[in-house]
Amino acid sequence: MVSIQIEELSYTYPNRESVTLNGINAQITANDFVLLTGPTGCGKSTLLRTINGLISHSSSGTLTGSVQVNDQNVAEQPLTTTCQQVALLFQNPDDQLFCTFVEDEIAFGLENLGFPPKKIKERVTLALEQVGLSGYETRRVNQLSGGEKQRVALASICAMQPQVLLLDEPTSHLDPRATRDILNIVKQFNTELGITIILATHRVKQVQHLCDRVWLMHEGELCLDLTQSEIFENTKVFRNLGVELPEQEDFAKNTTHSSSYRTQSNDTLLEVQNLYYQYPSSAEPAVKDILFEVPRGEVVAIMGENGSGKTTFLHLIAGLLQPTTGQVTVDGNNIKRLKLHQLAGKIGIVFQNPDLILQAMTVRTEVEFGPKNLKMQSDKLHSLVNDTLTQFKLSDLSEEAPYSLSRGQRQRVAVASTFSLLPDIFLLDEPTTGQDMQHLQHVMNELSNQIRQENKTLIFATHNIELTQKYADRVLLIHEGEMIFDGSPAAALADSQLLEKASLVY
Amino acid sequence: MKTTHHNLNLDARTKIIIMMICGCLVILLDSPSALLICFLASILLVASSFPTLKQIRLLLIFLFFTTWGLIYSQGMFYNTFPRTVLITLVPADFPLIGEWTGGIQIYREGLYHGIIQSLRFNTTLVIGCYIVWTTQPRDLLLALSQLRVPGALAFMVTTALHFIPVIASETAVVLRSQRLRGFRYLRFNLFATVRGFINSFRPILAGNIRHATNLGESVESRGFSPETATQRTSLRTSEMGGLDYSLLALLSLCLIGVIALKVVYFCYANGIYYGSWLRGIYTFTREML
Repeated sequence: MVSIQIEELSYTYPNRESVTLNGINAQITANDFVLLTGPTGCGKSTLLRTINGLISHSSSGTLTGSVQVNDQNVAEQPLTTTCQQVALLFQNPDDQLFCTFVEDEIAFGLENLGFPPKKIKERVTLALEQVGLSGYETRRVNQLSGGEKQRVALASICAMQPQVLLLDEPTSHLDPRATRDILNIVKQFNTELGITIILATHRVKQVQHLCDRVWLMHEGELCLDLTQSEIFENTKVFRNLGVELPEQEDFAKNTTHSSSYRTQSNDTLLEVQNLYYQYPSSAEPAVKDILFEVPRGEVVAIMGENGSGKTTFLHLIAGLLQPTTGQVTVDGNNIKRLKLHQLAGKIGIVFQNPDLILQAMTVRTEVEFGPKNLKMQSDKLHSLVNDTLTQFKLSDLSEEAPYSLSRGQRQRVAVASTFSLLPDIFLLDEPTTGQDMQHLQHVMNELSNQIRQENKTLIFATHNIELTQKYADRVLLIHEGEMIFDGSPAAALADSQLLEKASLVY
Repeated sequence: MKTTHHNLNLDARTKIIIMMICGCLVILLDSPSALLICFLASILLVASSFPTLKQIRLLLIFLFFTTWGLIYSQGMFYNTFPRTVLITLVPADFPLIGEWTGGIQIYREGLYHGIIQSLRFNTTLVIGCYIVWTTQPRDLLLALSQLRVPGALAFMVTTALHFIPVIASETAVVLRSQRLRGFRYLRFNLFATVRGFINSFRPILAGNIRHATNLGESVESRGFSPETATQRTSLRTSEMGGLDYSLLALLSLCLIGVIALKVVYFCYANGIYYGSWLRGIYTFTREML
């Protein structure tokens, strides 16, 4: 049975002064299920990459201390040996899948290790069975849903039959149903096959009932190592670090959005009429016959399973895609008749991947970029940029390069640089990805307060029910491109059949 | 065991070697008719993979722009003598531009040279498209490793091809999102336009470095190592078959033949060796190759 011994582990990335891992000591016995959590940038991913040997073999930073798997130092044995003991599943399935067909993807690792074809075939069949994808051998990877892709990625590492499974935010791109499926499979690996699990995530509540232990990291240090029963006695530490609180300290319940908070307005800002959109390479429309209006001052959540059409819908509202049929009007103007630069200041969008927006050399110039394009007067521009930087806690980072920041910080820069355009309609695509609760709440609080105060509109796409409960006045549920519900979050969340259809049940 | 879902008739190594042999052939050949045969053969190769309508459209767009660009630029900027003026675009006595450039003309020899160059370029372009469209990234990586291409380079080539669709879609999103932030790419201030494009490439480049890093970590975590690539096994049969060997033998013979004929002709043309019994070969080489 495998055991992991981590001793005085410290690591500093090349060209950085601060340490990412700082003197970590820990021990894991076989069959443990460890939940690893902590704020964004605390070193969770680096720790996982150190345990599976990637850092010691592929990075030129400074590594001290050791990780021993079965009394073997992973830095001293080849990766091809370690990968048969310790497997790592990454956050985004699209970034880790390499082959065209499912069978080839799962066989890839075994082929690298020189297994005979007969053995590979057996292992591929078994791995697919374990993740519930039997019969998917000849399917094209790019035609699978997000959840299925992550299950293929899981099968591809489990085919190597590791004794330790490391998972780095494995569900952050997935809808609740796919999340539930992945977590159930992982738990099954733990209980039935005896595989040791270390799962890094911000979503403590999703995993807390599955794990035996919880590791809480902060600034590269392992500050808490608790058993499952002990975590409720330490919620104060979780709260102080801005990490999602376990169980009853419910983020949504504490901060339930009050109906008196809502602004009722008859002034329609956005009107979507019979919207259809079909991608050129697709046989089916991604968005079908969507019809709705949004008054000023309303915060709207768009929910639905992976691939349901949420992002396409946001892109259509932003004018980034032209509808196949139907139209989008903002303040009575059909946006099809306007050029994209003419929509600046009317509509702003922040993508799930904030890096697609960031193009400037410093955070300040990034935030200035939009207002400067709109020829804002310099004194007004200066005060707007300073206010925006303060509002999103970016003042200290204003001269930093956006790309040198953590994922959470980059997302705040993306939000701030769209916010500085003062758009009437602010579109936000899946703000929860890779974010800890503290950053997420801060961004959402600032946005929703400002939107309501200035009688504008916020539309955000998410899988996160609690986020919708807390911030949205209204929710649209989308299933296979069609709108299946338009109403209050309370009404949507009370209808279990509806939630099941939209894959929103854990 | 052999699966039936892959529409691949040739081994990935064969495809790469075909590309290399054809690359040498089109450099050695000077005759438009011989180059046209090479180009048509490359088209036949693509046709054998039953490309989709989208792929055909894309290939036609590539071919149109490279052919037009090469013929037009060679026709206009041909500077070897003798040259025959076909059309005068700007007379030499035209104020400023004409006086400055000495006149802008289209030359017959330039057009001829442009046709030759475009046939050379298009042949390799078509074979490149064939490889990209019919080869899985993992097969390509394996083939490059087996052909002793350095591991890092092989992985770079493979990931670059793997990410072409991602880069295309992200580029479109980045450019549109900058416009949605009020930026106008096309305007009178050329400096601002160029700077805007350069800035826009930053997120595209950074995103792709991240994707490639993640993919690199993923394959390394699954035991891929350039050093041990030759010891890999394969679920699917990927040995080179009769068709692979026949095609490679034929192309190698062609290449050796062309080299031999060119050497013989070179010796004759430079007064190194002349044999009257080789007159037929001299004529064939001059006229056809």
